[in-house]
Amino acid sequence: MIWWVMLSFATVVLVAVTALWLYTFKTRDVSRTPAQERRVARRWIVGGGIVLPVVTVIALLAFGVPTGKRMLTLPLDEPPEVIEVTGHQWWWEVRYPGAPNGVVVTSNQLIMPAGEPVDFHVTAADVIHGFWIPRLGGKIDMLPGRINRIRLEADEPGVFGAQCAELCGVGHAHMHLYVEALPREEFDAWLAARSEEALAELATSDPAFASARENFTTFCASCHRVAGVSAGTIGPDLSDLGGRTMLGAGTLAMEEGAVYQWLRHHQTLKPGNRMPQHDDLDTDTLSGLGDWLETLTP
Amino acid sequence: MTSINREATPQDPQQPEGAQTLHDDLHEIWGNPRGIKALTIVNHTTLGLRFMVTGMVFFVIGGVLSMLIRTQLATPDQNFMTPDIYSQVTTMHGTVMMFLFAIPILEGLAIYLIPKMIGARDLVCPRLTSLGYFCYLFGGIILSFSMVLEMAPDAGWFMYTPLSSSEYSPGLGSDFWLLGITFVEISALSAGVEIVVSILRTRTQGMALHKMPIFAWYILAMALMIVVGFPPLILGSVLLELERAVGMPFFEVAGGGDPLLWQHLFWLFGHPEVYIIFLPAAGIVSTLIPVFAGRPLVGYGWVVFAIVVTGFISFGLWVHHMFTVGIPQLAQAFFSAASMLVAIPTAIQVFVWLATLWLGKPRFKLPMLWILGFLIIFVCGGLTGVMLALVPFNWQVHDTHFVVAHMHYVLVGGMFFPLMAGLYYWLPLFSGRMPSETIGRWGFWLTFLGFNGTFLIMHWTGLLGMPRRIYTYEAGNGWEIFNLLSSISGFVMSAGIAMVLIDIALHFKFGKPAQHNPWKADTLEWANAMPPSAYNFVSLPKIDTRHPLWDNPDLPRTMAEGKHGLAVTSHGRREMWGTDSITGKVREIIHLPGNSWWPFFAALALAVVCVSLLTRVYALAGVFVIIAGVFLLRWSWENGAHPKAAPDAEVRKGDPPLHSRTMSGPGVWAMATFSIANGSFFLSYLFGWFYLWTVSPQWRMPEVSPLSLVVLVAAGVAMTLGAGVMERLVRGLRVNQDRGLARGFYMSALLGAAQVGLVLWSLLTAGLEPTRTSHDAVLLVGLVYALFHGALAMILSAMQGLRVRHGYVGLHAPFEPAVVVILWRYNVVTFWVLVGALGVLPRVIGG
Amino acid sequence: METAFKRLYLGHPAHLVVGLTLWSIWFVAVYGGLSVACAVAPPAPAQGAWTGLNLGLGLFSLLITALLAWLTWAGWKAGRELTGRPRFNALVSAGLYLFSALGVVFTGMPIIGVPPCL
Repeated sequence: MIWWVMLSFATVVLVAVTALWLYTFKTRDVSRTPAQERRVARRWIVGGGIVLPVVTVIALLAFGVPTGKRMLTLPLDEPPEVIEVTGHQWWWEVRYPGAPNGVVVTSNQLIMPAGEPVDFHVTAADVIHGFWIPRLGGKIDMLPGRINRIRLEADEPGVFGAQCAELCGVGHAHMHLYVEALPREEFDAWLAARSEEALAELATSDPAFASARENFTTFCASCHRVAGVSAGTIGPDLSDLGGRTMLGAGTLAMEEGAVYQWLRHHQTLKPGNRMPQHDDLDTDTLSGLGDWLETLTP
Repeated sequence: MTSINREATPQDPQQPEGAQTLHDDLHEIWGNPRGIKALTIVNHTTLGLRFMVTGMVFFVIGGVLSMLIRTQLATPDQNFMTPDIYSQVTTMHGTVMMFLFAIPILEGLAIYLIPKMIGARDLVCPRLTSLGYFCYLFGGIILSFSMVLEMAPDAGWFMYTPLSSSEYSPGLGSDFWLLGITFVEISALSAGVEIVVSILRTRTQGMALHKMPIFAWYILAMALMIVVGFPPLILGSVLLELERAVGMPFFEVAGGGDPLLWQHLFWLFGHPEVYIIFLPAAGIVSTLIPVFAGRPLVGYGWVVFAIVVTGFISFGLWVHHMFTVGIPQLAQAFFSAASMLVAIPTAIQVFVWLATLWLGKPRFKLPMLWILGFLIIFVCGGLTGVMLALVPFNWQVHDTHFVVAHMHYVLVGGMFFPLMAGLYYWLPLFSGRMPSETIGRWGFWLTFLGFNGTFLIMHWTGLLGMPRRIYTYEAGNGWEIFNLLSSISGFVMSAGIAMVLIDIALHFKFGKPAQHNPWKADTLEWANAMPPSAYNFVSLPKIDTRHPLWDNPDLPRTMAEGKHGLAVTSHGRREMWGTDSITGKVREIIHLPGNSWWPFFAALALAVVCVSLLTRVYALAGVFVIIAGVFLLRWSWENGAHPKAAPDAEVRKGDPPLHSRTMSGPGVWAMATFSIANGSFFLSYLFGWFYLWTVSPQWRMPEVSPLSLVVLVAAGVAMTLGAGVMERLVRGLRVNQDRGLARGFYMSALLGAAQVGLVLWSLLTAGLEPTRTSHDAVLLVGLVYALFHGALAMILSAMQGLRVRHGYVGLHAPFEPAVVVILWRYNVVTFWVLVGALGVLPRVIGG
Repeated sequence: METAFKRLYLGHPAHLVVGLTLWSIWFVAVYGGLSVACAVAPPAPAQGAWTGLNLGLGLFSLLITALLAWLTWAGWKAGRELTGRPRFNALVSAGLYLFSALGVVFTGMPIIGVPPCL
């Protein structure tokens, strides 16, 4: 909203100054004494050079300062939900420390409650990343060694785009974050379905995927975590992979066979990403892994 | 009140007999050699042109890079440049444009014009100008070469850590940037120091501070801002290079460093940098408008006020580039308010220009077309700037194409358009010919429309959420059409610029020969021949008005006839006036060095140092540091009373003494100005120390300080005693007393050596582990700084002793000790502050 | 007051830079002081803007403003009585002192309403 006000004002000023400039080129036949000249000059200089910017600036601040205050993480009567986001090259780690059944961890998706303020505590694991959900508010940088805080609120439930906002290396353009705001009850249900026990049950219960789990433990567990199966922390947590909308931080839409596509072609889809190529694995192994991971849908 | 004379003074082709001989003699003394010896030229006219031409070459390179970017972004899902190459291209586009084009070309213009405008024959340290040029050339070549090797820096033109550090940028890219840019900055700093001293001390007789051309005020501010604003980046670059090469963790969290320190150091430079770029351009506008309005600038005093305010306030804005890093809101509010404050001096200048046009009779020639373009684009950019100063809005558009659009509006509008106006305006002076009107107008309109097409739309793209520095984007975002329009317009703009360049190139052959003072201007540079002679003016006039050529249209002729000052050549020296900084009263005759090989070879040696550091052949680097040092010291040997400079101090009756026979000449001012730069470097270092100590996330400080206070205090005492000896010697020289002069110099050198030895001792016994903790790394840097300066003072004092023995320094030539003693004073102050900050404070406050 | 004026000699060109230098020193002190205080002993967020830190920064700012205002007045008075170059210096300096004083007030205003360390 404030943007439209600023834009209109700016346009008016720009047009006015340009018009004045062009007008000065029209010939005029006025002769003035030096004293008159000084007075005219002073009117221009003080009016345009001092009064105009001062008025503009005060108006801007009158609008802007209250807006800024809303994003501060001042204490509220009811402590807001806290969500921790860590930026990695080139994926997002999302943690819910306040989940009632133990910390919930996921990657590349940010599900948040709608209609209430949410505090985001952000940091980075390697280089500086930028946390930004454009339709919800301003951005904040994710710095290694520090935790930055920002308060955002989604007035209505919905899906919002988000993308890393600070150059972080070759994968910067492929670091999208899927953000969805759910009504409070649905959000609580979403969290509950992702407790450690629920996810471990989901991953280990079906015997048909035993060989896939074995392959996973051999080839993937050193980097990736799946609740109940492995504990790797170098790459994204995959425990609820099947339920996500996008793969690879926004690179592929999640549908049947998408995980296999990723496993086979990820260096082409997202050049330079840190996952090894895994050319040594044959199609059966990969598609087996893909099928199993796609069932991880809480 | 100024009377305006609009009749151009015809250049008198028939010189009286005496004047022609004078011209020939002056030409013999000042003339420029040809062939390989052209590398020895120190004349500001030639060097200014070299800076400008080289700058234009880099502009074209930067422009090609920008066309690559626009081509890639024209349509979604493109990868004709892989993300790796794309990052190199965007980084180099910014780096080349900011460091290898914008600053050098404006410096070049200042170097070319300032002596002519203030009635001097050259800048005050001509060999330094030459050194500056070669450092720029070699640094620029080295940096550009990285693109040929596909090893260009790729972490963005401001090189944020940790992305730019060795872990995440393992190749040579960042090193190219750090070393190449530092090399170029030596050039900028030396030009800055020299310009400050030239403007303050070499104006022609009678040109008081408040009578000098307004352009000189702008350039003075620019030069002082360079002097204060460049050292923080030099420090930052040195620290980052040390981190990459050796592992000293200034910016690495695990070692106790902080990536934000880099951002602070960079933007402490980076924000003043854009005003350093804008002020000279505004100076061009303030110079051209009165000429084309046919009347003096309305509100000269107001403009001086605006320049001073801009110069200062621009140093208090740097955090507005860091609004999203998580600094407390209150601190951000300070920077937000200050960022808005800076709109006032800018608006004052705009309205001074408008008032001048209003009260005058404007003529719409080609340079004015570019100025109109400047006004529209720059005001637009300034308005979006004020928007960006508002923190909540900034949080939305930071790191999006909105900022890219804003930046190009203020930089292209605020610098490039005035530069083109100035180029067209001064072209007759450069070459003696007029540019074409038709091609020029076509060039302008294509550039203007193309520019607006490219970047106006980009504000919207940014508001739609498109981040910066992404090598491509997905289809379906709604960004496609706007990017396509921007890219097409980009090609239109390139066509316009190409036309302008062609126009300028063609005019050298086909342009109409220019009449003398073709624009009917008021300032002294138009009293030159067109193109100017190597010595500028046959004789130097006494000036008592801001508009010499309007108030005295005969002046160019009488100057060319040798009717004014210093029309003497019998002594064979290159001479000009040295005047009082405020009143313009003549104080000395400044004698200048002739052509010299030293700057070229010194720059070459430094280039070898740069390349060896780049390729990590440290032994070679060490050797060539010593060689460069030897060259520089040997160069300084040829000064003052040395046979190659001014061995005989004869002047005409009534003329003031040569500057090297006084004790307050320009060298003293140069050393003092350099000390400001040095002080800025030192203060940035102290800032880094206190910053890391208080705020760094994993700072580790030992319980007991590893530095021995006793040893450091002893070193300080030795240095203070040495400085005391120097002061006594200089005071003696002032009262014509030179007893024990050489002995005194050797004594102070010895005391300096004692200081160096003691600091070295404290360093070696401290057991520092500079690659383990940032605390030890910072201590190491501080001690090395003290060592280097102590050694320099020691060497210079020893050399003074030698020069006494040779007869180059003494009662008859007391100048140099007055210069060297300034370094000693600087060293004493900074050394004790260092001991206090590094040794005493930690003991008092604790970790 | 008279002797203070005389000793200051407001027609000297050095005054052109003193005003903004004072503004710069104030700025560095306030920003630096705020950062150090927030790193070492941040007040509780619940206090909002009513903290000792805000109070201290505010008082310091008022002091500097008063100094700059006094220098403005001194420069203005001196400028009226001088002629030529010293008059130019004194009047432009007075303008710069005024700008610096207002600059301190404007830049420092957030001290009143914004909580210090968030």
